[in-house]
Amino acid sequence: MEQAKYEAIKPGVLRHSVVNWVFVTIGVYLIAIVLLVLGIVLQLTGTINNFLTAQNMLNIIDAVSMLGIVAVGMAFVTYSGHYADLSVPTTMALTGIVAVEMLKFGFVAAMLSAIVVGFVVGLINAVAIGKFRANPIIWTLAVNYMSMGVIRLVWVNKQIYPDMTASTVRASEMFDAIFRLRFFDKIALPMVMMIILVIVLQFVMRRTKFGVQLKMTGAARTPARFSGINVERMIAIAFIICALTATIGGLAVTSLNRVGAWYNGKGYEFKAVTAVVIGGVTLAGGRGSIIGVLGGVLVIGILNNILTLLGVGTFSQDMIRGAIFIIVVFVNARSLRKMGRDYE
Amino acid sequence: MSDRQRVVALNMKNVTKRFPGTIAVNQVDFDVFAAEVHALVGENGAGKSTLMKMLAGSYDDYEGEIFIGDQKINLHFPAIAKANGIQMIYQELSLAMPISIAENVLVGRLPVTKLGLLDKQKTVEDTKKALERVGLGHLDPFMAIEEISQHEAQLVEIAKALWNEPCILVMDEPTSALSREEVELLFEIIDRLRNEGLAIVYISHHLPEVFRIADRVTVLRDGKKIATKDVADVTRQEVVQMMVGKSIAEFYRHESHATNKESLRVENLTRFGFFHEVSFRAYEGEVLGLGGLSGAGRSELGRALVGLDEVDYGSVNLHGKPLKIKNMSAAMARGIAYLTENRKSEGLALRLTLRENVLVSLVPRHTKGGVYKQSLGTPKLHELIEELTIIPPDPERTMNNLSGGNQQKVLLAKWMAIEPRVLILDEPTRGVDIGAKTIIHESIERLAQAGHTIILISSDLPELVALSSRILIMRQGRLIREMAKEESSEEIVLLAANGEGV
Repeated sequence: MEQAKYEAIKPGVLRHSVVNWVFVTIGVYLIAIVLLVLGIVLQLTGTINNFLTAQNMLNIIDAVSMLGIVAVGMAFVTYSGHYADLSVPTTMALTGIVAVEMLKFGFVAAMLSAIVVGFVVGLINAVAIGKFRANPIIWTLAVNYMSMGVIRLVWVNKQIYPDMTASTVRASEMFDAIFRLRFFDKIALPMVMMIILVIVLQFVMRRTKFGVQLKMTGAARTPARFSGINVERMIAIAFIICALTATIGGLAVTSLNRVGAWYNGKGYEFKAVTAVVIGGVTLAGGRGSIIGVLGGVLVIGILNNILTLLGVGTFSQDMIRGAIFIIVVFVNARSLRKMGRDYE
Repeated sequence: MSDRQRVVALNMKNVTKRFPGTIAVNQVDFDVFAAEVHALVGENGAGKSTLMKMLAGSYDDYEGEIFIGDQKINLHFPAIAKANGIQMIYQELSLAMPISIAENVLVGRLPVTKLGLLDKQKTVEDTKKALERVGLGHLDPFMAIEEISQHEAQLVEIAKALWNEPCILVMDEPTSALSREEVELLFEIIDRLRNEGLAIVYISHHLPEVFRIADRVTVLRDGKKIATKDVADVTRQEVVQMMVGKSIAEFYRHESHATNKESLRVENLTRFGFFHEVSFRAYEGEVLGLGGLSGAGRSELGRALVGLDEVDYGSVNLHGKPLKIKNMSAAMARGIAYLTENRKSEGLALRLTLRENVLVSLVPRHTKGGVYKQSLGTPKLHELIEELTIIPPDPERTMNNLSGGNQQKVLLAKWMAIEPRVLILDEPTRGVDIGAKTIIHESIERLAQAGHTIILISSDLPELVALSSRILIMRQGRLIREMAKEESSEEIVLLAANGEGV
């Protein structure tokens, strides 16, 4: 009789959760494949050229590798149930400009001070949001503005260049060259870093105590607390991871632009959240994976590439990305609602 | 009273309300006269709140007839109840905290000038008039609710209900947040309202209050009406007897497995405002019952013992060694765990799977060098699924696809998984069916038999009496009585919880 009872519980939910599971785990790569096929069809019909070449495929990954680095960190914040870290753009700019400034003490000092600054920004977010339960959106938005003010105040609204600040030519050259490093003449360092971060952070999310407890925290904060999980610490670590990946992204952007400036990192917060959400880490928290986020990043990369080859302008591309974000969030929210209500 | 002409204000004839699988209210007759306070009492789950919701117009599928005055009314929507002069005052306030008293009291009926603007003069007059009826004429109508005290807010709630000129006022545990003096003030107001001719339904399980304020009392049990009596004609013992009765949920009285090896010693534990100077000992193999009314501080004590809430002073010894309660994970590592009374909001991650929910308690134990090995918990998981007969026995099923009883079993499994030496269970069978209840009771007994210490917080008296080796009664934050298994009975526990010794 009990058996019959459970069969009767919401059969629709089960079917739906299977659909959702497929969508969440492999769905994003399906979308990537569909986009690839679309690109190939466009090339065969002669609408675009040079889509399906090894060089273009590499270009796609190259172009999104810095976004990928930032997005895999951002994913931890979303996973923890705190939507997004909107202070990412200025964290990138600030760590970059600090590194350029500190080149006068040498390359190593520049890198280390950038990491320290990134860590401090992450810690401020971690304490305010983890410990004092500040609203993550409002708080990180404010931190973004404040650090922007710091940059403009300290550097008097100027851009600074490595070859001007560095004490030695060697330090400046190293800073310029480091993220231009290519393995086998093809594979750029940011690409390698992205892949290493994906592997490491996927492991952290799935196989460590922190990852498992963060999942519970993101899925249901109060039950996590009542299970003996230090939810404040979990949330804090998530924000620190995000700030550190933003630091790496910021250094890469600064190095490649050969300039430390307040606008480095602009737009990365939205692109990263889009990749995270397309990748199946839902805004409700506790779902998705880093591998999925990589898929989300690739989808954005392929889409950008096709749109550029089609000659679609930057502003139109922004509009298209925004529309896709809204659609994905809508679909996610709908499927979550059908799964049943959550507390909190 | 009896020589006065009695006007029937409300008459419910043979009403029944079914929910899937249960009959919450079963052929009940209930009537209230004008100028009368009629108390409705019964244990948890007796049907009081269902009957009240029926009056509020929450159900459109009840059976039986409801008369207001001498007119038959179909109370199918809340608006119909309001239009017929029924006003409800719930345990939780329905006031909006940040806005003014005036806006709360006159909600939906704020006076406006010809231009459609707020008529401030009239607003003040109307609010003053409403507040004077509950003795709050001195309050500034434009103060926000959050600026006034809890008991004033409770009275504002009543003023708001009265402003709609009800003929029937239903009050659900209106005194739960009030101090003794404030309760007395409230009773004076209720007395006055009765003299003005209002029919008042007073729902409570605080018997002293019922005997202080009510003219008649109706006892419900398991959805049925047991009796309606003039308060003057019954004693408290008789009412308790009727409430408890020979319940259908009478359980087999478990034997005590208590040893004399002390496992937990609590001394003078205090959290100001919640519990004070609590001292007790618990022994291996013992099921130590903790009885009392809701709000007596039992859950707060349980939460404090595992470090979920802070403690102001006092000490706890676990197996002879002092337990420093910093946080819950430290308490868990020492072998003490707490099962929450709120399954859905505090107990389970409803979107996660059975496996994740059970094994979360084992994560610290199965982590080596930061790496968590989930597979280490699999044998334990299967063992628990089998022992508690969790249906369906599918570890990958998400929790919101399980029935309430099975969710509760999963919650218990989560804490059984770490084999705590002291397990605090807060309402471990709340809202579950009889099958799950029996299984949970058997597990509790097995744990005790194996030498674990169980602290059982329960408002389910038959359960408390049947399982406990010893029962402590808590009232208003203090332990007031201890009774051995032999001397405990549902009646004695209920009387003691109400502050009455025998």
